[in-house]
Amino acid sequence: MNDVISNIIRCAVALLLQIFICNYIHLFGYLTPAVYIFALLLLPLDIPKTFQYLIAFVMGFIVDMFTHTLGVNAAAAIILMFARPYIINLLNGRKTTESNDIPMPGYKDFRWLLEFTFILAFIHQLVVVMLETFSFQHFGRTMLVILGNTILTTIVLLSIEYLFYSKSKRT
Amino acid sequence: MNNLIEFLKNNFHHFVAAALLVICFVLIGHSMSYNRYKIARICQSITMPIEKSWGNLVHRFNLNKENEELLQQNLALLREQENMFLVREDTTLTQMSGTDSTHTTRTRLYDYTYAHVTFLTTDKPFNYVIIDKGSKDGIERDMAVLSPTGIVGVVSDVSKNFSSIIPLPHLDTRISAEIPSINQVGTVIWDGREPNTAYLNDVPQHLEINIGDSILTSGYSTIYPKGLLIGTVKEVSTEQNATFLTIKVKLATDFKNLDLVYVVKNLYRSEIDSLKANFKNE
Repeated sequence: MNDVISNIIRCAVALLLQIFICNYIHLFGYLTPAVYIFALLLLPLDIPKTFQYLIAFVMGFIVDMFTHTLGVNAAAAIILMFARPYIINLLNGRKTTESNDIPMPGYKDFRWLLEFTFILAFIHQLVVVMLETFSFQHFGRTMLVILGNTILTTIVLLSIEYLFYSKSKRT
Repeated sequence: MNNLIEFLKNNFHHFVAAALLVICFVLIGHSMSYNRYKIARICQSITMPIEKSWGNLVHRFNLNKENEELLQQNLALLREQENMFLVREDTTLTQMSGTDSTHTTRTRLYDYTYAHVTFLTTDKPFNYVIIDKGSKDGIERDMAVLSPTGIVGVVSDVSKNFSSIIPLPHLDTRISAEIPSINQVGTVIWDGREPNTAYLNDVPQHLEINIGDSILTSGYSTIYPKGLLIGTVKEVSTEQNATFLTIKVKLATDFKNLDLVYVVKNLYRSEIDSLKANFKNE
């Protein structure tokens, strides 16, 4: 029960952060971090996958409503949700049977978290930016934006994780 | 059956994900006008050439029908032209209405049908044209034959299904013509050389004629209605000791590429001819 509430709060905070702060960041004119995927990454793996997809869809949809790009972030979030278990398996090097595999500081080391966050953020940004530009013209620039966004998002997410979660879990 | 249900149960989340993705793409297509425009343009660039060439091909098949419809429409329009009617003032109606405007009655003088050319010559002194309509279709001797651009000639002989025409390039041709710009009447003849050039006789030397003036039928014969285009003035010259101008006429009808012709019937021809028969001049 406690877990459910903490997840809901996390989702709400992530959405608020995204909508009111991160959407107004345009670093170097292009780069906008996607902070809300933070809540999706930390979603427990043991809840039904149907719910996972629905949560991803709703969160992406809410972000889309504020950026006037209906459907883009929702699609990216669903694809991220789809990719997440495979990436965890890949990084663990074996098929996880344990359901309490929590991708958080204190449970995993920094290198694992960095890879995990970077790969999923990259998948997410790939879908978002590609759907937004919707063209293979200026492909180099598009890839640059995707990479820049991914790096920025990774930095922000890891900072948040280490700031707010490492201590509380260790104690 | 159980296996199927089991399978659906185990993979339910995949279906949910797919459905949500579809919803996302629908939303993208709906909300983002640039994306929609882009998709439409890509689709169009693929389908456009196919649709265009296919459409052209289909259109080819319908050309005959379309042509026929246009012909009928053309005939209907031609039949309503002013020179098809005899216009008379209706004096009783004018008096009864009591206004200044004059009322007229129109009596139809001429009627049209059409035909296609089956055979024609242009290189002989006595050329002829065969068309694919005959007595069965109401064609009679001495009917006028027109092309879409000008006049062609006169029906000379009629069989059941075909008719022969004496075209304008024929040494016996005599057509009463007028030049509207100077209001002068003359006769168009052909000299037996170029099929697209004829001569206009009987125009006195003192009259000024410009190159390019149009020459129309005068309506003084029972054959041609008034005001049909014969050709345009190509060259004007004076010969010594001649009282008349020599006027070269470029014929409006292209006799080398003749296909569609209109046949004009004078509805009161027999009546006029019976009057003419009383004078033993001809």
